[in-house]
Amino acid sequence: MTGAARYRTRFDPARIVMLAIAAAACLCVLVLLAAILWLSFTDGTPGDPNLGYTVGHYVEVFSDSFTWRVLANTVVFLAVTLAVAFALALPIAWLVERTDFPGKPVVFTLMTVALLIPGFAVALGWLFLLHPRIGLVNQAVMALFGLEHAPFDISTIPGMGVVEGLSLTPIAFIMISVALRSMDPALEEAAAMSGAKPRQAVWRITLRLLWPALLAAAIYVAAICFAAFDVPAVLGLTNRIFTFSTYVFRSLTPTEGAPEYGGVATLSVIMLAIAALMSVSYRAVQRQAPRYAVVTGKAYRPRLSPLGRAKGPALAFVTAFFLVSQALPLVMLGWAAGLPFLQTPSAHAVAALSLDNFRSIPTDLLLRIIGNTAILMVAVPTLTMVASLAISWVVLRAKPRGAALVDFLAFLPVTVPPIVFSVAALLLALFVLNAAVPLYGTIWLLVIVYVIARLSYGTRMTNTALMQIHRELEEAAQMSGAASFGVLRAIVVPLLAPTILYAWIWIALLSYRELTLPVVLATGSNLPFSMLVWSYVQSSSYGRASAAALIMLALMVPVLLLYWLAARRAGLLTPRVAR
Amino acid sequence: MIRIRDLALTYPEANAPAVRGVSLDIAEGAFYTLLGPSGCGKTTTLRCVAGLERPDAGEIIIGDETVFSAADGIFVPPHARNIGMVFQSYAIWPHMTVFDNVAFPLRYHRPRPSRSEARDRVMAALALVRLDKLAGRPAPNLSGGQQQRLALARALVAEPRVLLLDEPLSNLDAKLREDMRLELRDLVRRLRVTTLFVTHEQIEALTMSDVIAVMKDGAIVQEGAPAEVYGQPAESFVADFIGRTNLLSGQVMTPAVSTDGGLGSVATPVGLLHCRLDASRRVGDVVTLAVRPEHIALSLGAADATDPNVVAGEVATVAYLGNLIECTVAIGSHALRVQLHPSAPVAPGARVRLALPIEYCLAMRQ
Repeated sequence: MTGAARYRTRFDPARIVMLAIAAAACLCVLVLLAAILWLSFTDGTPGDPNLGYTVGHYVEVFSDSFTWRVLANTVVFLAVTLAVAFALALPIAWLVERTDFPGKPVVFTLMTVALLIPGFAVALGWLFLLHPRIGLVNQAVMALFGLEHAPFDISTIPGMGVVEGLSLTPIAFIMISVALRSMDPALEEAAAMSGAKPRQAVWRITLRLLWPALLAAAIYVAAICFAAFDVPAVLGLTNRIFTFSTYVFRSLTPTEGAPEYGGVATLSVIMLAIAALMSVSYRAVQRQAPRYAVVTGKAYRPRLSPLGRAKGPALAFVTAFFLVSQALPLVMLGWAAGLPFLQTPSAHAVAALSLDNFRSIPTDLLLRIIGNTAILMVAVPTLTMVASLAISWVVLRAKPRGAALVDFLAFLPVTVPPIVFSVAALLLALFVLNAAVPLYGTIWLLVIVYVIARLSYGTRMTNTALMQIHRELEEAAQMSGAASFGVLRAIVVPLLAPTILYAWIWIALLSYRELTLPVVLATGSNLPFSMLVWSYVQSSSYGRASAAALIMLALMVPVLLLYWLAARRAGLLTPRVAR
Repeated sequence: MIRIRDLALTYPEANAPAVRGVSLDIAEGAFYTLLGPSGCGKTTTLRCVAGLERPDAGEIIIGDETVFSAADGIFVPPHARNIGMVFQSYAIWPHMTVFDNVAFPLRYHRPRPSRSEARDRVMAALALVRLDKLAGRPAPNLSGGQQQRLALARALVAEPRVLLLDEPLSNLDAKLREDMRLELRDLVRRLRVTTLFVTHEQIEALTMSDVIAVMKDGAIVQEGAPAEVYGQPAESFVADFIGRTNLLSGQVMTPAVSTDGGLGSVATPVGLLHCRLDASRRVGDVVTLAVRPEHIALSLGAADATDPNVVAGEVATVAYLGNLIECTVAIGSHALRVQLHPSAPVAPGARVRLALPIEYCLAMRQ
């Protein structure tokens, strides 16, 4: 190998550019995570020359009974969310994949749209329905039965769990359908030929085979739920009911006094550790799955059971799911947006309906925010896809020493809860970088953090697509005389184009609905759209919050259409799990 | 035209070298074939010539240009070597038309041809492989055979110094493969382009090549014209890999005297056999004796013990293959494979005599 090593240094511009981009992206991930770890051991304000080191924050956090209460809350929140999401996703996935349920593409499309509707908008709708004081259902029931106390309270841990469960049902649904679809129907047919009745076959074969996939999906959904911010923030922050992510947020922005940055960093590290544990167990379970030979990557055409007379109830069930989980809260937004204050429907209320809430949002603010959001929606997906392409190319094609590390670092962000990323970026920008690169307060800080947060998704897409391009296609271009940039431009990029476009729009949509990252990082001048809604929610201006959320949803529609077209072109109309 | 000296390459993740000390010379215009089982290093050697792999040691010279030399630190990247190559998967770019696929190499050709000249050359290359009528078609809408011919047109359009073929026929079905074998051979012979061909199919190597080099474990074990490699295999591996053959291990009893036409005798499990033998072999040397099934004559009845090279046995299995019958004859604990005319009256259990002609019994190293 001594001989070969000598030629490696040959100058290849494409290689150097790609390596530089991949290294820069990986460095950002590394620096952010290293910063939060470092800060958790510091004593005093970061940037102070007399900064000391301590493990005191960890002692403090673990000896604080409130930490344990938040952890207990989070466990209950996870349990309720998983129960709700799987109780709904399992039957719907089974109906769509294994029966003659009508309108399957519609179900898939609606599930994808549901994945994109901002969680804070839906949570706000539930607040209007089931808040103990202003919730319309509560008001109506109390008036009807003359009750003193509100019968329902959505601002509780189980209440948040139900709402979060409803909003994570689409992800669970997609994961379960993929598992059901990739299961060889011959396995069930063999059970039938061995004399098992259909119900016995489902119990003894289908569910047993599906078990690793279900477990993996459960851990995946749990990890997302653990990191979730929108729903617990909208429903719980005002009355101090915390899950771990909202607790980290509240520690960073206390209602009184100055934040204790070392303590916030410590909480973030603990959250990161828990998330990493989930990620490791997810991978472990996923690695088990092939042993069951369930996931073959091949799409089978399983026998579809006829629903017969059950078709009506099945259809009603799925329709009810979409109505209750998405339509109802959004309708509530519309109702609240039209009224000066929330009230139960009546002739009087209808007469009070107006567009005042919409008009009261200052136009110049709205325009500035739309401008910021547009920058995010263009810059974030573009930079993410450039970095992803470079990383995939380095990992799968150039394979320099350390390629495995690049792959690992690019995968890391999927593990990291967004709130941890934003806390890390905030502390880093405020106390370390500000003297050299004044990023804080600019839109570019948001851009960088958004890109890092989406890096794992982007590289997963480009990895899969690049792996499907036969190496000989590139080698044939080399033999035809194309140098490395030529091969990239003429062969690799055009062949990846559908995937890149699809992922680009998906990331643009996720950037649009993102709340967790800007809630920590955005200040007056770099606010994106989600923060407008959030700031109205914070000041309890629910009518204006609803109006802003509706404008936001309306502006999303054209991008959604683009997404649908791109997905159709990339052959990805059946969506993958994407975060 | 191609000169390779002491080529060696070990892949980073492997523990055994993929190629160890390969040297060969390919004359201008020759059709040279690397033949061997998978993992023998033939494709690695070809990819080193292409520049798609960097050898650890050795030298590769194409024409009068050294494209690789470990000693002098020379490595010409693949895109600067002016070589045409047909890949095993054909590597037809699916996002281009048939025409664009073939036109691609001309983009990088120096001096760059004018638009109309490029067009003419692409159409000429397509006409050569009878695809000129399909020039506007998207490349994925071609059959396997058409894709194979398209890959050939693309490899030839820039008039490369050398054509490399990496198992180009292995993805075709049997009948088409037979047709393409001849078509490919005729085409490159007509164009007189120096060709390096890699295959694991002995029939392709025998029918198409000027020279065959048989490879095993990263090294060339025998090189020669097809008839030479088939008729005088240097060792049992070659005899067995090219065509089916009966191999009997034995010990030299009578060494050959070179004036005696190289004939000697070897004691084998089926008895003492006279055979062609290298004069350097001494009494007691262990050798392998090879005799091809088609050269064994079978007759019914018991053997006369005095006839030389005749052994008695019993027919064990009979397989009817249409154009011939292949049967195995058990001689003690050994079995010999024999090919017969389809009308031969043999049945399992029959007592037969096998005559092994001396001139077709070859003793070789194991």
